Amino acid sequence: MSIAFKPEETFRGDYRYRNSDAAILRFPFPFPEDRYMYSVNIEPHTRSGPSDVYLHAFDVDEHYIAECRDKAITLERDPGRCQVLPHMMMAQWDTLELLMESLSADYPALFSLTKEGDDFGSLWTWINRPLGIEQRFVFGDAETLPCEPFEYITRQAQGDFAICDQRDDNLYMDAGMVTSQADWSLEFDVGMSFMEWHGPVPLAHQTGVFERALKYLLMLRLGQPVRRLNWTMSINPRLDTSPESYPEWGPDRASVTPANAGEKVHLRVELQTLWRLPRSNAILFPIRCYLASLDDLARVPKWGKRLHRVLSTLPPQLVEYKGLTRYLPAALEWLAQRDDGAELPVGTAAGVTRLNAPVSG
Amino acid sequence: MIGQTLRLKVAALTDIAPSLRHVRLVAADGGKLPPAAAGAHIQLVLAGPGRSFRNAYSLVSRPGARDAWDIIVRRVPTSRGGSAYIHEALQAGDTLEASWPGNLFAPVRTARRHLMIAGGIGITPFLSYLADFAMSGGEHALHVCCREEEKDVFAPWLAGRSGVAFHWDADGHRLDSPALLAAPPAGTHLYVCGQAAMNDEGIAAAAAAGWPASHVHCEHFGAALVGGAAFRAFLAKSGIEVQVGEDESLLDAIERAGVAAPCLCRGGACGVCAAPLLEGEAEHRDHFLSPAERNAGRLIMPCVSRAKGGRLVLDL
Amino acid sequence: MMHSDIKSRPAYQALVPDLAGSRHLLVIEGDALPPGRLATLSNTFAPVADSLHTWLTGAPAVEGIAGKLWQLGSVEDVLDTLACATRGYGMGDRLYVLGTEPFLWSVAGAAALIGFGPGQLQLEHAGSLRRRVWCTHCHVTTENVTTGIVACRGCSRHLLVRDHFSRRLGAFMGVMVDAEAPGEIPAIEEVFA
Repeated sequence: MSIAFKPEETFRGDYRYRNSDAAILRFPFPFPEDRYMYSVNIEPHTRSGPSDVYLHAFDVDEHYIAECRDKAITLERDPGRCQVLPHMMMAQWDTLELLMESLSADYPALFSLTKEGDDFGSLWTWINRPLGIEQRFVFGDAETLPCEPFEYITRQAQGDFAICDQRDDNLYMDAGMVTSQADWSLEFDVGMSFMEWHGPVPLAHQTGVFERALKYLLMLRLGQPVRRLNWTMSINPRLDTSPESYPEWGPDRASVTPANAGEKVHLRVELQTLWRLPRSNAILFPIRCYLASLDDLARVPKWGKRLHRVLSTLPPQLVEYKGLTRYLPAALEWLAQRDDGAELPVGTAAGVTRLNAPVSG
Repeated sequence: MIGQTLRLKVAALTDIAPSLRHVRLVAADGGKLPPAAAGAHIQLVLAGPGRSFRNAYSLVSRPGARDAWDIIVRRVPTSRGGSAYIHEALQAGDTLEASWPGNLFAPVRTARRHLMIAGGIGITPFLSYLADFAMSGGEHALHVCCREEEKDVFAPWLAGRSGVAFHWDADGHRLDSPALLAAPPAGTHLYVCGQAAMNDEGIAAAAAAGWPASHVHCEHFGAALVGGAAFRAFLAKSGIEVQVGEDESLLDAIERAGVAAPCLCRGGACGVCAAPLLEGEAEHRDHFLSPAERNAGRLIMPCVSRAKGGRLVLDL
Repeated sequence: MMHSDIKSRPAYQALVPDLAGSRHLLVIEGDALPPGRLATLSNTFAPVADSLHTWLTGAPAVEGIAGKLWQLGSVEDVLDTLACATRGYGMGDRLYVLGTEPFLWSVAGAAALIGFGPGQLQLEHAGSLRRRVWCTHCHVTTENVTTGIVACRGCSRHLLVRDHFSRRLGAFMGVMVDAEAPGEIPAIEEVFA
């Protein structure tokens, strides 16, 4: 497989992020039905699914180089986006091992890992061709890397990562690398228990969703990762929509009009996977973010129409929680013009293999 | 690192004591095993006469080992099942089906100090703990209670390990649990693994010394009672009635009947096998169901729990 | 009474001695004490008086409290004394803290550092409901916040005080209230008296 990377893309300032037609067709569209329904929707993360973003343990796509660079910019401005509590060193090595093994096995043309042994103390050589990195280090010896192992490897991966320590029949978010989040602060949340960090989520607490999810995750098995999709919306293709930088991106929400919504408003889908880590018994929680503008999505007629219908049925508490209040009407007006009301098949599949011509801009 | 079951090959078998057999397992395809943490176990599928058994064993190999796994299997005197099979029938070169490692007894990473008490074969999870602490620098102490003649049996796994003390039943050598548990500084976690009576005594002594329950951990499985009076169980969905023998579990009998039943620890700890109970009264022996759930009488953990009367009806 | 459905904030409860403990330490923010509360606490803790120490900050001398009484100037003195206590703390120790929310979490944080687990700790809220607010943008905390919107002591932005609480920081989250429409600041009202 060869991926045509687009290193010139940016996720701030002039926003030179664009999806190729292939990237739009593989977008992990999250809505199988016309109505908004909240569900835990956890399924095994096997190497299969309705889009090829599910085919690898950790998906790498055309935005890889640009996303890693945007992450470095964010970290430079705010090093607090990477937090690791002191008891998480074993889990840091677990994460490095899982990512290096998975990436080198899934993308041998891009990444390679050579080991002189599997145990701590062995010499490993890691090659990351897209980023031009070759690193020899001693597995288990943080001094032999330019930074701690969790930060080292997650700087070379798309998306955010949290690690949850399991103790006392609970999960604690005791480490994280969070630079492309949907408005939550790792520095505020680090160390919180499962219920605490989900505290601000509306509606779901009353139905016992989090109790059930926690019980399920406590039994998560090594070798059997699971996944779910979550979503929100962003103005402009911006990865860093953190509360920390809200003063920078908040004003964008007031800039949306029915005329520019197609270009400005992006559906932001998170492919969340959960992995039991072998050496620490912690749980790794990668949150991989995919962005597509309404323009992009409307080129798949089923998706454009469905998004219109789902957004029309969103409970007001969720509109507020997801921060859509100010621009949802403009987005809906834009989408309504592209929804003829035709019946749509259930499921998230695009249903087409080629895209319609761009609809605006 | 995605998968559910593994084919393992027996690389070596060694009797380290009259009732203890050390088994070394490698990947049958010659590849690498997944790494596992301190306190991890695997479940082995063992062919017995006319049926197969699923037994869980702690890995005593160093954490993270990917070339081979070691387990130590005690011959259970009354066993006609898995442990008898390993002691009497298993040969080097045989292949076995195994689960990926699970872990219901991992050390607490936030602990300032780890205090371990083992009874006999209950030392097995702590052998991997010691290797972990040697690497991570965790402050620790292990107290092993066993027969005097057994104290050298585990020497190969203890070479170079610090903080290990042996106790046996003779004046000057018995473990003084109250004194041991009165001393540790705040932030210590206690782990006990042994026969049920020893576990109970350790937990009670810790409570008496004021330890909060959150800092006291016990590995139940392997030590759980299996047998009891025979009874019958009707599996309503499958329309099958099974006879549960004196020395087998309800879960064993369900599997023997060919009915699929998810399970993990087989020791009443994890809750995975919890089954809806439609009729009959259960004798609950698990550590998972809450008192309220037990009183409600709608669930049973077939891996350890049995019938109080002669018959149960399960929604399986 | 303090009540809330903030999931990240604990439910505080009236202190009661944990009879399973072997040594008991009661830490009280004197300025937050409601009238008469010291006397009722003294009664409640009478069963463990022999193994009870009480640390009281900021209040005038008091008579008749159960156990051994120590008077300390401020929360900083409490934290210093906790950290360099000559006797070690053990698994049978129990810590009970009474005071305002920032006081409770300052002491709880120091106790966690020396190894106290959640099962060894009780917290009772008393006094003002004023909040400590952590600015998401500049990470400076603003103390004694009684309004739903507050100007950050660090960056001067007007922060909306969100109902999300961090035990590690002992603080609520503050997020710029007029980021989407600069200058549109709602009326500022007293809500956490």
